Order: sequence, then C-alpha cells, then structure tokens
Amino acid sequence: MKQPLEGIKVADFSWFGAGPICAENLASFGATVVRVESEAHVDGLRAVMPFAKDKTGYNVSGYFNAYNAGKLGLTINLNTAHGIAIAHKLIAWCDIFITNQTPRILERWKLTYEDVAQINPRVIAAFQPMQGFDGPHKYFMGFGAVLGPITGYSYLSGFPHRKPMGLGTNYPDYVINPGHTLIAILAALRHRNKTGEGQYIELAQIESSVAPLAPALMDYMANGRVQMRDGNRLPHASPHGAFRCRDNTFNNAPEDRWVAFGVFNDEQWRGLLDAMGNPAWAGDAKFASIAARKQHEDELDAHITQWTRERTAEDAMALLQSKGVPAGVVQNARDMLDSDDHLKARGYYVYLDHPEAGRTAYDGPPFVLSKTPGTLRTPAPLLGQHNDYVCREILGMTEDEVTEAVIEQALY
Amino acid sequence: MPLQSALDDVRILDLAGEIGIYATKLLADLGADVIRIEPPGGDPLREVGPFWHDETRIDRSLSYFNHTTNRRSITLDLAKREGRAIFERLVATADVVVETFEPGYLDGLSLGYENLTRIKPDIILTSITGFGQTGPHAHYQWSDIVGVAMGGVMTLAGEKDDPPNRPYGNQGYICAGIDGAAGTMMALVHRDNTGEGQHVDVSMQEALSINQETAMQTWDMTQQIRTRTGVRGMIPIDIPGIGVYQCSDGEVFAYLGTPGGAPWTVMLEWMTREGKAEDLNDEPYGSLIAGLNLGFLTALTREPEKLGERIQMLNHIYQVFARFCATMSKWTLYEEGQKQRLMFGIVSTPEDLVKNPQLAARDWYRSMHHDHLGADVGYAGPPYRLSATPWALRRRPPLPGEHNHEVYVEELGLPAADVEALAADGVV
Repeated sequence: MKQPLEGIKVADFSWFGAGPICAENLASFGATVVRVESEAHVDGLRAVMPFAKDKTGYNVSGYFNAYNAGKLGLTINLNTAHGIAIAHKLIAWCDIFITNQTPRILERWKLTYEDVAQINPRVIAAFQPMQGFDGPHKYFMGFGAVLGPITGYSYLSGFPHRKPMGLGTNYPDYVINPGHTLIAILAALRHRNKTGEGQYIELAQIESSVAPLAPALMDYMANGRVQMRDGNRLPHASPHGAFRCRDNTFNNAPEDRWVAFGVFNDEQWRGLLDAMGNPAWAGDAKFASIAARKQHEDELDAHITQWTRERTAEDAMALLQSKGVPAGVVQNARDMLDSDDHLKARGYYVYLDHPEAGRTAYDGPPFVLSKTPGTLRTPAPLLGQHNDYVCREILGMTEDEVTEAVIEQALY
Repeated sequence: MPLQSALDDVRILDLAGEIGIYATKLLADLGADVIRIEPPGGDPLREVGPFWHDETRIDRSLSYFNHTTNRRSITLDLAKREGRAIFERLVATADVVVETFEPGYLDGLSLGYENLTRIKPDIILTSITGFGQTGPHAHYQWSDIVGVAMGGVMTLAGEKDDPPNRPYGNQGYICAGIDGAAGTMMALVHRDNTGEGQHVDVSMQEALSINQETAMQTWDMTQQIRTRTGVRGMIPIDIPGIGVYQCSDGEVFAYLGTPGGAPWTVMLEWMTREGKAEDLNDEPYGSLIAGLNLGFLTALTREPEKLGERIQMLNHIYQVFARFCATMSKWTLYEEGQKQRLMFGIVSTPEDLVKNPQLAARDWYRSMHHDHLGADVGYAGPPYRLSATPWALRRRPPLPGEHNHEVYVEELGLPAADVEALAADGVV
C-alpha cells in the first residue's frame, strides 16, 4: 500500500524536540526526510543521556535517536559559502521545509521565510520560533525547560503548597508543539495539492503551548479568576488523584507504586465502594455526594489509601476497572516497555537495529491508520551518514562536486 | 476576499466526547464544516466549567465555548432507530466522522466503520479512546488522569515525597486530540490521493507516551528508572541561578549559564548595579561565579562529591541571589534579564498570560460577539499561523440544536413537518 506522503520531500533544518519529532512523523507516513545537521552545530540532544550501554559519541544518544527515525542524515557547514549553496539545492528540492532554529540564527544563515521562498516559491515552510518573528520578545531565549513556566503549565500543575516546579520534563516539546506543527503542515499540503500554492507557517511555541490552556484564560478574561494549581484534584470529581499502593522491590530497594483514578458520578462511587468491600466509614453523610466529599477530601483520601496500600497497583486497577471505575497504574517506563501487555499487543513500541547503538526501542507512530499504518523504516541516522547519497542521488551532484565539497569542509 | 481554508471541502460529523473534542476544534478552526451532534437533552460537555460570569447554565460554559468554535449544532438521538436513519443520511454527505465511544459501541448500532463504508465508501472514521480499538485494555474505562498515569507522564512529575502529579488541563485529552486531528488530516491526504478512506485509531495512552522524554530510552538502554525529582530536577543541590525563585509578585524560573546566553558575571553586574550583590564581588565568590556554566553543572551532576568545600560557597551565592530575586518583580527579571541574554522565564499565571506583552503585540487574543449573551467573549488565539489558509474564528459556538432546521430541512431536504414530528418523539 502506498503511504499517504510517498513522494513528498522534506528538508528538516530543525533540532532538539519540537521540529525533529514532527519531521519524524512525516517520515513514518512515507515522506523522504533529509535531516540537516553540522559538526559545527551539533544537535544538543546527541550529547544528552541516555547513551547505549558502554558506548560513547554522537550517535548513541537515545534522546536524539528517538526523534529521528526514518530520516537521511546530511551534515552541511552553513558557515561556508559552499555549504550554503548545498543547503539552497536542498531547499529547491523539497516540498516541506521545517526549522525551529532561533530568529537570530535564521537571519545569520539566510534561512528566513523570505530567503527560503525566494529559492522555492511553492515551498511549505514551517517555522517554530519560541516567541514568534515579531513583537517585543522576538529575540528572547528559551527551550523546553523555560517554556513550561512561561506558558502557564508550571503555575497550574502540582500541589499548591509546593513551588511551581513543572512536569519534570520539557513537556510542550513532545506532542503539543510537534503535533500542532504536523496538523498545520498537512493542512498546507492539502491546500497545495488543490491549488499549487505553498505557504508560510509560523508556529510560535509560546502560542502553541498556551492554546490548550484556553479555559483557564477565558476564566480570567470573563470572570477575573486566576486559577491556581490544586494537586491532583478536580472541582467536579471526588475522589480524584493518585493513591499509594503496596511497594514494589526494585534493585533491592523499595519502590513506591500508585494507582490513579477519579469518581465523576454516583455510579462510579458505588463501584469504588463495591471494590473496597463497602467499608463502614463510607456510610457517613459527609461522603454521600461529590459536593460533600469535596468538603472532606483529605479524610476521604486517607480512607482510600488504607485500602490501596493493602494491594498492588495492578490489582487495584484491575478490580476498580471491573467495577466500572476508570483507573490506571501510575506506570513508569519499565511498566510501559516490559510489562504492559496491552501496548505489546498493539505493537506500539518499535525496536530498530542501529549501527552503533544496537537494538533499541522507539515510540511508534502517534496514530494507527487502518490501511496505511505508519512505519519507522530505519533507525536514526549517524551524523553525516547519508552525505554521499543525498548529494549524489537527491541533489544530483557529481562525484567531483561531492569530493570538492568534502575538501572545502562544506559537508561537515 | 473571503478567507481561504485548507478544509472548506471537508464535512465532519462530530460525535466526540471530552477526549476528542480538541481534535474537532482544531479541524473546525482550520475551516472544516463541523456539525456537532448533541443528544436531545443537550451535550453533557456543556456542563463543564468554568462558566460565563459563573452562571452554571448549559449556554454559558466557557470550556464548551472554547471547544466548539466554528461549529454547527444539531440534536439527534443515535439510540433511536429514526435517529440512526437520519445519521446515515448525514454520513452520505460527510467526509469524516469523529467519535469517542467505547470500542464496538457504534458497531452495536450498525454504525461501525464497515457500516459507514457501505453508505459512503471513502468515509474516514476517526476513533479517539483511552486505549485504542484493539488489545486487552481496549475496553478499559478512561478519564484524563488514567491516561496520564498509564501513559508514563505522572510518574515523572512532582516531589519524591508527594504523590505523582497530574498535569493541569486534561493533557491526556489534549494530546489524544492533537493526534486525532493529525491522523484525520493524514487520512484526508491519502483519500485525496487515492479516493480511499480508512479508520483512524488513536489511543490516549500511546499519544502520551512520547512525553516521557528520555524515560523510555533510559530504561531500554540502561535499565535505570527515571522518576519524579521535584523542584531541583536532575541537579542534586541548589545551584545559584537555576530553578524557581520567589519574586516580589510571584515567581520566575531561571536557567543561567546556558550556552548561547550571557555568563553569570553579567548577572552579578546587574545585582551590583541594583546594590544587591552583597559580598559576591569579593573572593572567593567572584572566581566561583566566573565558572558557573554548563560544564560546571555537567561535572556536578556526574560527580557531586567533588564539590567538597565549595558547597558552602555555592549556598551563599544561592542565598544572595534568592534575596535579590525576592526584591524584584517577576516581569522585570524576565524582560530585563532576557534583554541581557540571561535565561529567565516568568512563571506565568493565567492573568500573566492574558497580559503578556508579546501575545498582545501579536494580537493573539481574540474576541467574538455572543448575541445570546449580548456581550463579547474573549478567546485564546491560534496555535499556528498559516499565511494562505489561516486559523480563524468564523462562527461563534452554537446553542443546542441551533442548526437543526438548516441541516435537516434546508440541506438534507427533510420536510419541516417531519422534523417537528421527530422533535416531538425526542429524536431531534
């Protein structure tokens, strides 16, 4: 079966998370993606843990490799005129150009939209600046760790007595920003297929990240209310949270285990009580409705924890699910990769043989299409792995031209 | 010239519950004709707060406003045979159906993917659920917290001594919605190419997995478990200029000494100008500050014991820096700091986001008139800006069944009297 994006050519000038993940998704559904890097400007993720066991170097980072499957790797030194000429060839070749480099870098390298469209007027060019290409904060620096605080996720998440510490990751980098970009690119591709016209996509990461928090913003605009983080609780559910279960032993040390669930209606409350064996405390009027339970939530959570502590998180989940209560283990990566039979049955994680990192796991495509399921066709490229192939087979350079480019350190 | 749209030739029947409604919002805001199908008593999502002026009414939900921009609304009871007959007539005119029922539910109504293809051979059915259409947990019940738990996100958030933290704002539903919209777009591109529709299967758990950052690869490659590390993150001690700091009016997040940014000495100069550097220009602090960079941090993360006696000095610098921050406004630290290439990020409250000068300068926030409220309602702006086929607010959110006549009578050609009879029977 022909993939949806077969024949579509992508010049991926991005780095870190938000750009490469989007381009990886394009590759998974059939596009030819050339990932542009430089030894003079290595993707920071190539130097970040984890690394394949007992291996070192730029090609064995699990962080980098996870976002670059299915791509061809090309190194170009954009600090040389020759390197820029090769970049221009690639831009002329592509249907889709994507980058999340900063405005400063794009101006220096002459990779602004105007530059790119001049070379390729039909291009779909997607840019992911942190703040956007105009406005007083245009040149502000940022990356995922700062984006979470700036965009409100840190203030609104976590327990109210704690500092706004965020989610423990560079959260908007992984689905919010690459996913929004993918939607925009596919919309632009449809438009181009219909009209022949390319277009300019500007996804300011701050705007893309704030957009999903709209209800809190509208609450302020309409009601003047400044919402505040409230741990794992919700105004319209009770109980709602993560409850501690029986500890595991891992590496000869205790490991805390948790089950997460929420009760949104009376039917689920009865299911929870049934699962807990209808304890006497639950008969008290102060637990009779969600509104009443919201008034006594600390006490309620303590009662529930007495029950969850007696069993494993997996048993608690299975029992609650059997009683109609939506519940799930707070899974860690070991659970998801090794123990979760559901993910295994669906084949979500994909193992690929990488020439240096060995056989390692990748997240599979983010959605399953029944007739054109995406596939991660190849592992992430080594730095510069496909220089010769891309130059000769894609850009049509002669052997002499490639040699000259190598000597001039343009392919570097 | 009217706004162009990338999806103006696409009609979507929107049966999505909370887990999928961000998907249909994204598609509607790009210009698709999205018809929201509400049960005759009204959509349960209309009961989700917050509410306009805190008035708890089904035509006042701000959350619902946000999620149903650019929609038309019809009421239709799929549990009734006559309702299903009308739905089938709508399917014949549609390109996409988005649904979030328990897997198999629509099959039970003879409205599953195979049934729909007999009505409209190139139909795209997008199903967004907690665990996807297949596998041993396909019939597990879900809510947002179940997704972020099972998807590996919660285990990474929070202090070690607290329960794992749930991200704010139904992020499980948001991620599932983004992937649902992207999967639908991908299927549309394939249909345009080949004339062939298909079934798009989105699992919230899978949609969330990649948010684990490096946790999955860390286990796979090194058999180490990444877990929640709280406010300090991966760095074992308090490092001056890194982390969350209290200000006079809130908090900032700082990450000084990063590559591309100004060195710590620039920070010290600023503190000195403000008269709040205390003794940091004296030795031994001056020399230590000059070396506070990413290389130092990396070494520290790997071999904290090598810090030795410098821990006390670092702690002193940290305290002075924290005292400096406490006297400053979060906006001053953010904006003046960034102008000096010092990596500060304001910890934005919703109020800060609404007042953010960058978003204001770019006219990000929008407003739409609601005739039934006699007022303009403020909206969040676009996640992306497309030059030729832009995101746009074209139509205010609908009232329940507002477009029954338009859709049933004017477009499907049902006699008005029949529609009235169906209304009397509770079908529409």
